[in-house]
Amino acid sequence: MSPPRIIHGRGLFGDKVRGPALVAKEPVSFLGDVDITTGEIIGELPSVKGKRMGGMVLVFPGSMGSAGAWRFIYQQFIHNTHPLALIAKELPDPSVVQGAIMAGIPVICEPNEDVLNSIENGDILTIDGKAGTITVGNG
Amino acid sequence: MNLSPRDEEMLEGRHGEPLRKAMEGLVTLGRAYNAEDMVDIGYAHIHAGMAMYKDDVELMEELADAGAKVVVPSSANIANADLVNWRQTGAPESLARLQNRAAGAHHKMGSAAAFTCTPYWAGHWPTWNMHMVSIESTVTIFCNSVLGARSNRDGFFAVYASMTGRYPRFGYHLDAQRQGTHLVRVECMPESVSDFSALGFHVGRSVGGGVAVFEGFARRPTMDEMDALGAALGTSGGISMFIVPGVTPPYANTEEAFPNGLPNDAIIANEAGIRTTYEHFTEGDGSFDLVHVGCPHASFEEMKDYAQLLDGKRVKDGIDLWVTTSRSVRNMAREAGYVAIMEKAGAKVISDTCPMSCHFACTASPDPKLGVKPPVLRGIVLDSAKQAKYVHDMVRCPVLLTSTEKAIESAVTGSFVPRFSAS
Repeated sequence: MSPPRIIHGRGLFGDKVRGPALVAKEPVSFLGDVDITTGEIIGELPSVKGKRMGGMVLVFPGSMGSAGAWRFIYQQFIHNTHPLALIAKELPDPSVVQGAIMAGIPVICEPNEDVLNSIENGDILTIDGKAGTITVGNG
Repeated sequence: MNLSPRDEEMLEGRHGEPLRKAMEGLVTLGRAYNAEDMVDIGYAHIHAGMAMYKDDVELMEELADAGAKVVVPSSANIANADLVNWRQTGAPESLARLQNRAAGAHHKMGSAAAFTCTPYWAGHWPTWNMHMVSIESTVTIFCNSVLGARSNRDGFFAVYASMTGRYPRFGYHLDAQRQGTHLVRVECMPESVSDFSALGFHVGRSVGGGVAVFEGFARRPTMDEMDALGAALGTSGGISMFIVPGVTPPYANTEEAFPNGLPNDAIIANEAGIRTTYEHFTEGDGSFDLVHVGCPHASFEEMKDYAQLLDGKRVKDGIDLWVTTSRSVRNMAREAGYVAIMEKAGAKVISDTCPMSCHFACTASPDPKLGVKPPVLRGIVLDSAKQAKYVHDMVRCPVLLTSTEKAIESAVTGSFVPRFSAS
């Protein structure tokens, strides 16, 4: 087993969490792309369509779409189908950030490597939302 | 981040738990966006508390019960049921009762409630340079682009801003963000409010989260046209603001909208683009149960137009025609006699909600005990690209987009009348 590797980014907020990665190669519109009650990705995101984001660390390029995103993220929290943490290449829009704060989901953005290709589905990630560190593997 | 002494007091909890939580959220948001400090806001368009989402009305009730008050003029966004005439829409009483609890919470907090996506037509009219917050992108866009106020596309934290009177200085609160990124050369004059909506949806796809600058309208667009244009731009793209030089304060001309120089390329807005949107939203086999006008919620002027189009006509049996507006505008239209004309023709004049926002949505998450069951619809004829997009996504039935005039003609004849005749 390869030794743990640490990726650095901008930690926006949140505690330390640990869980498996789910890598979406396309921007995510939380209002429309995700089923609230199951956490299943139902939008036209070929890389992750049909997968569930509950309990996963969602790695994605950035957000798009409606400013109602916060409500869908918060509803996922109410229904316990929310992602464990968010790793976004680009700073998500204010509505997504507000939803994540309300749901207590740590967010890291602008990582110092191409996480969409360097992280694979199922990789175990340890996230520190304050320090901005992503530890890949058994760190 | 630089905080005022009062911000610090709120953050420390010296003004109670609701304000501590609100300020903590706003500071976290501000840090995420590298805001230098907070600004005083003059207006807030805030969350309604939505009965179609579990524990969501409770979000507002918990704040109201904890003693939270709004400290700036505040209006509430669109809700999930007509608070009074919900029976007309087929909504279950359980949903209407829950939605009415949100009205109680708003009034307790000192909010004007309003329950509309066009609070400006109901008298909430922020002015040039006023910092504000808005949970509804259509409101953000109208206030930035028509009134010259300063707003981001917010989420729930608009409520926190309404309680503290403060908001972190980032995004469209800064001059640097309020300049053109894309030049749009208009080569045809849209003929109706719905054409402006179709044009906006087409252009929005190319603008993403930028600021579109429109050059070449043959005349100054009306306020209803600007409203329709902005709502659609914000639907296909992620825009918060567009600029029509000479209309949007303070940009007198195109050069002022691009202080760092004009872009080399322009997006061309012509009839082909307008047609593309109408064609994109022509789905299904042409059958429909419902015709809808009034997205965004109709202004008084639009209510007048609908009344003229419906005067002496009769909506075909088996077809529903919904006109959606705010309660305030409905009252004005009622006093002017327009509601009577529309109702005589068989139209339903609905306030506080709309097809995509009401119990029709399949993608919402109502508490199962409310017993909400979205109806199965054959199709909806509508005149707004925004409504078309979200009905397609959330109600999940075929949509048929046409002009307002032809939507009403469709309701009267029972057959879909497209905006452009087949060629």
